[in-house]
Amino acid sequence: MSWFKITLIRSGIGMTERQNNVLKALGLRHRMKTVYHPVSPDTAGMIMKVKELLTVSEVDKPLTQAEIHAKRQPPKGYYVEKQGVVREDIEGS
Amino acid sequence: MLTPPRKSPWRLSSGQKYRHRQRLRRVDRTVDVVYKALAKRGMTAAAVERWKSEMPTEAEMKPRDKYTMFDPKQRSYRKGVHKLPKWTRMSQRVNPPGF
Repeated sequence: MSWFKITLIRSGIGMTERQNNVLKALGLRHRMKTVYHPVSPDTAGMIMKVKELLTVSEVDKPLTQAEIHAKRQPPKGYYVEKQGVVREDIEGS
Repeated sequence: MLTPPRKSPWRLSSGQKYRHRQRLRRVDRTVDVVYKALAKRGMTAAAVERWKSEMPTEAEMKPRDKYTMFDPKQRSYRKGVHKLPKWTRMSQRVNPPGF
């Protein structure tokens, strides 16, 4: 099963009631929000109603909201060494 | 409450035209992705079929249609596409029959 990955990149402010209702139905509440919907004629029709505001791609598996959030995090810049591990790259350890 | 129409130059700048082309292409890409995804699973959607049959892509459009649109009130029957309210979030590609 494949999915549409849909991201709202232009705001729906000032667009018609009907288009804003479509955005609501898709679950797109604010800009840069990404949602996944199964590939079906219903979804396609909804995308076509607001196609000027979206970017769409086809993916095999939807990501959960937590996974999307984790992907957006920057690297921490450090790592925690484990206790009792001898590092061979440091001389004398 | 009505907001008065804003002043705007009669033609688009080259940068505006460039960004307008990018937007047209993005819509083309979106429709294409949806069309291909449905076709892969042997499905169609009326809205996609209609767009594909009626609307030219960015590459197929003439500059006249890209940057200007029909307006019955103008002497030349054309005005800049940026005069259309919300023009950066609208699709305006074809002319009425005969124009």
